[in-house]
Amino acid sequence: MLTHVIERVLQALAVMLVMSALVFVGVYAIGNPIDVLIGPDVSQDIRLDTIARYGLDRPLWEQYVTFLGRVLHGDFGRSFVFGMPVLELILSRLPATLELTLAAVFGAALIGIPAGIYAGYRPDSPFSKLIMALSILGFSVPTFWIGLVLIMTFAVELSWLPAGGRGETAQLFGVEWSFLTLNGLSHLFLPALNLAFFKLALMTRLARAGTREVMLTDTVKFARAAGISEGVILRRHVLRLISIPLVTVFGLEFASTLAFAVVTETIFSWPGIGKLIIDSIQSLDRPVMVAYLMLVAFVFIMINFLVDLTYFALDPRLRKGRA
Amino acid sequence: MSAGAPLLEVSDLTTQFFTRAGVVKAVDGVSFSLRRGEVMGLVGESGSGKSVTGFSIIGLIDPPGRVAGGSVKLEGHELVGLPPDQLRTLRGRVVSMVFQDPLMTLNPVLTIGEQIRLALEAHQKVSAAEARSRAIAGLAQVRIPRPEATVDFYPHQLSGGMRQRVAIAIALLHRPKLIICDEPTTALDVSIQAEILAEMKELVAELGTALIWISHDLATVASIAQHVAVMRLGKIVEAGPTLDVLTRPQHAYTRALLDALPSRAKPGEFLLRGGGVPDAAPPARRPVTAAAPVPGAPYFVADRVSKRFEARPGALCGLGQKLGLVQPPPAVMAVDEVSLVVRRGEALGLVGESGSGKSTLGRMAAGIYAPSSGTVRFEGRPVMSAGAEPKKLTIRVQTIFQDPFASLNPRMRVSDSIAEGPLAHGLVDKAGSAAYVRDWLAAVGLDPAFAERYPHQFSGGQRQRVAIARALAMQPDLVVCDEPVASLDVSIQAQIINLLMRLRAELGLTLIFISHDLSVVRHLCDRVAVMYRGRIVEEGPAGQVYDNPQHDYTKRLLAAVPVLPEAAA
Repeated sequence: MLTHVIERVLQALAVMLVMSALVFVGVYAIGNPIDVLIGPDVSQDIRLDTIARYGLDRPLWEQYVTFLGRVLHGDFGRSFVFGMPVLELILSRLPATLELTLAAVFGAALIGIPAGIYAGYRPDSPFSKLIMALSILGFSVPTFWIGLVLIMTFAVELSWLPAGGRGETAQLFGVEWSFLTLNGLSHLFLPALNLAFFKLALMTRLARAGTREVMLTDTVKFARAAGISEGVILRRHVLRLISIPLVTVFGLEFASTLAFAVVTETIFSWPGIGKLIIDSIQSLDRPVMVAYLMLVAFVFIMINFLVDLTYFALDPRLRKGRA
Repeated sequence: MSAGAPLLEVSDLTTQFFTRAGVVKAVDGVSFSLRRGEVMGLVGESGSGKSVTGFSIIGLIDPPGRVAGGSVKLEGHELVGLPPDQLRTLRGRVVSMVFQDPLMTLNPVLTIGEQIRLALEAHQKVSAAEARSRAIAGLAQVRIPRPEATVDFYPHQLSGGMRQRVAIAIALLHRPKLIICDEPTTALDVSIQAEILAEMKELVAELGTALIWISHDLATVASIAQHVAVMRLGKIVEAGPTLDVLTRPQHAYTRALLDALPSRAKPGEFLLRGGGVPDAAPPARRPVTAAAPVPGAPYFVADRVSKRFEARPGALCGLGQKLGLVQPPPAVMAVDEVSLVVRRGEALGLVGESGSGKSTLGRMAAGIYAPSSGTVRFEGRPVMSAGAEPKKLTIRVQTIFQDPFASLNPRMRVSDSIAEGPLAHGLVDKAGSAAYVRDWLAAVGLDPAFAERYPHQFSGGQRQRVAIARALAMQPDLVVCDEPVASLDVSIQAQIINLLMRLRAELGLTLIFISHDLSVVRHLCDRVAVMYRGRIVEEGPAGQVYDNPQHDYTKRLLAAVPVLPEAAA
């Protein structure tokens, strides 16, 4: 198990290294951040001075090596635009995205899995057919459109919920969270719902497919022959048996939402890292982009690692041969 | 209620499946009764309705099927038409069931203890501690060694026999009055089967439980049941005391079933069920273009071959192993320095239990696996090349696999499956391939018009014929048959055995016949090699090994085979 952990951490470091190099070269190819940062009317002296201050006058490889050296000391550089340390900037935006993502992914799992199990258990009932029809909608309608419809309906027409922003926040562990206040929750609801649609459809369909398959197995027949009630069979036998694909998708969706909730965050003006990255791409804020994408790589690998660990917990057959 | 009244009375039971193609009468007016503590065998081939009868009694027919008529009375109470909730309270408590494959029936992700607790909680409230102690007691009752440890195991940590014992323990938890066993020993090795049979007999006698033993195998039924009912197409065609039915069968179907058993015929004789119109002769063989055999070399020889299976370590683990920091997991020695000689035209039987290495040896013989050490030579030339990526060098050795469902590509027409190899090796040209395929289908007793069908459009026996045609269309001289009749009904099995015997004679084939079924091997083979834990422990002419076994393991194996009572002459 220890070697497994070490392997994963090394893997994460390698991917992060490659990622940082790609972004460095990529941004260099796109354009010069100085053109964005300072107006065309400043004097040549100031211009050269700024370039030197950001270290942009050195060759690219030298800039990259300096950057790596600083990263080893935990310094990801300063944002060109915000003028503050990048790590601090990203961490200040992370909680907003984290709570949005958690609300969306857990909401989707808590509704989608039971709905899918029901649809798989009674495939011919009208309610199951309705669930499956809705799940197709969830798959096929684009997220931004659903977001706009949600705002139109609940914010503009009905005025039930706010259209954007984080609302009031409260502190927990020194971090501001929206979900701790009623007003914050009302702001969280619509963007979370919007993000959850696709995942809901995915979880429902996966749970349904798994349930249909498991219900036909001898395991279920044997449990029935022992007089175990249908509810217990679904909760104790079926749920465990279908959980591996569900956990896989849960992990992937969690990671990708955390990293790329851009569209929803933009529509609902949610001040998370999705909005931050879009802004920094527009202003060629290289330190933010590099650090952000390295963070994303790290998060993906770690979440997949946690998913792997969950596999071992869920399926004892996989534990074989692992000390 | 008087003591003589039957425990279970089934009368005119009818179970139908309402499919799109129409109504299928799976069980069609079945009647029988069973007294307390009595053991009844229900025998039939697949599709005879024997399993559906069992499920109908216990109320577990899934839609689109349902019990359409008749009555099932348990201790005088009618079960047919009871609401599902009331049926559920009876299942597991009064009637319980054991299935064929315990690997499929036990939940792989729950411990044995958890599964027993769920079954206990289905009918009574138990504390966690009580559930555990009852689980341990239940496991001890079915002769599971160290039940205190086993209760925390997962199913995959137990052997097949142990798993089936766990399933039986769960069925016995609430002391039911009736247990229905559906092919409970079919997936097990003969020696385990013998143990389970003996234990089951003791248990039902001890607890006074009645038993319905559903099986396709007449011999196992004969060794446990006092009464037997033979089913065919949803009806009971013959019933009575076991000895009477097996020694003096009245119905033609029962007689045919008995005649199809290789154990009841003289070795090498055609079995009666396979008779009828003789099949077409196989197509002409290619002119012998192969290189002349190396003079003096045996026809086919496996020379001290071994096969190790090792777990492939991850990158870091591998590095650790190389540096000696981490112990590599022990390799599995599937075949351990086995030597084997097969003469031209001979049929060699390879018998042994699951895990004995017989299939691995067969695959090395056929050039599918490269041996870890040692060589396999055919007419003095190696079957596989040496080196890092060994390749098979000859097409004159071919294999017939156990499961034609798995070995035939489901998305290829059988004509394409059969023609693929011969076309690739130039045995036939594109223009002649269609006729070639049709000739081979005719030779294995199939309608040549079936060439355009897909594998799923065939029955199990027909599919095995296709697999045989595909192997033989490569015009091999030596065929490795890996359990080719293991998944087939006895009457189909008889047809395939007859087919193999006929083709062997007509084509002058040499056979290596791998099977766990000792009677089939005796019927078909001249010589037998008994494998145990990766080694051949005994080898000799079939008659000699069977009648006068030398090795302890062979003796045990032969003693475990259930024997049918001899038919009255």
